[in-house]
Amino acid sequence: MVGVVIAVLIVVVLVGGFLLVARSRRRPDGVDSFRRQIDALSPDSRRPTIDKMKPAEPPADDEDGAHGT
Amino acid sequence: MVLMARDLAIDLGTANTLVYMKGRGIVLNEPSVIALNRQTGEVLATGREAWQMIGRTPGYIVAVRPLRGGAITDFEITERMIRLLLQRVGVSRFTRPKVVICVPSAITEVERRAVTDAARRAGAADANLIEQPMAAAIGADLPIDEPVGNMVIDIGGGTSETAVISLGGIVALEAVRVGSFDIDAAIQNYVRREHGIAIGERTAEEIKVAIGSADPTPDENQAEVRGRDLMTGLPKTVVLTPEEVRFAIEDVVSSMVASVIRCLSKAPPELSQDFLVRGMYLVGGGGLLRGLAERIERETQVPVRRSNVPLEAVVLGAGHVIEHYEALKGMFMGARR
Repeated sequence: MVGVVIAVLIVVVLVGGFLLVARSRRRPDGVDSFRRQIDALSPDSRRPTIDKMKPAEPPADDEDGAHGT
Repeated sequence: MVLMARDLAIDLGTANTLVYMKGRGIVLNEPSVIALNRQTGEVLATGREAWQMIGRTPGYIVAVRPLRGGAITDFEITERMIRLLLQRVGVSRFTRPKVVICVPSAITEVERRAVTDAARRAGAADANLIEQPMAAAIGADLPIDEPVGNMVIDIGGGTSETAVISLGGIVALEAVRVGSFDIDAAIQNYVRREHGIAIGERTAEEIKVAIGSADPTPDENQAEVRGRDLMTGLPKTVVLTPEEVRFAIEDVVSSMVASVIRCLSKAPPELSQDFLVRGMYLVGGGGLLRGLAERIERETQVPVRRSNVPLEAVVLGAGHVIEHYEALKGMFMGARR
């Protein structure tokens, strides 16, 4: 029984280690990340951000100084 | 316990600071001014309230702009201003957001570090920088995802930057540390020299807004200017004409236009031909100077269009980057090297 548990633990550790190594070796794909960046800059992608624009606040009250005549 | 923070984009401008909150839009738009008690160092006001104090404070209060020419001139005061701004949009020690800050493209490594350090100390979990012209092009809705030449001219308070952008990257760039505050200073100097009266920077700004122009415009008016007579020390009123103001600011305007011409000359020929059809886009508060678009158009023979959101384009662009942080993090300054 103990032998089975130890064997299972060893398998789990080996599989976990393999997955960690595989993940760390995986390089980000240049084509994919460039595509993602370009897609995120598309007009459709930008629309929701630009639509959040509220009307600008009016400038602070000018007191004195210059007055157009 | 660490609460979830909404990430922020900040346009830390020489004149105004705008904050965009992820999912919400622009939540703050205030002058980049802070008022301090000179004796205790205590902050008395920030933003619009502090702006109204400029040039009108008693001896123990000082109202300052901690950024000049797009660069931090006083690190400690800038940090305090950023901390207060972040507090006003809900950032606390328990909510530490990611922050993207727009900065002039020509800032030095030391200045970059100063900005990111100030933001981190003020409560940001992570701070990254993006060039203002790039953010402006995104916010002005230019088709920078396409392989075509997009040219953006960003005239700010302390810097003027022109960039050619294609396929999400900067192809050519030209920046000068000249902006709309230099126009105000030129007006102040002219009035002092030619009319013998001293005026404050707010009055100079008001003259610029009222009658300032880079090129003659159809409906021009004169302006009454009140200041202090340098000889007698008494209040005095003089009348200023638009021609005088144009003469006063000519050197600054020429410097801005020359910078645009240098950028055009750096652009690859394939992209240059696009400008003739698509034009150049003018953003930034300085771009609102009357006649500036016409003057640039006259000297470059390239059409100049004004953005629909000249004052907000930069923060909207940075806001878009914060909305798509993972996809666009390659656009941060330093990420492309």
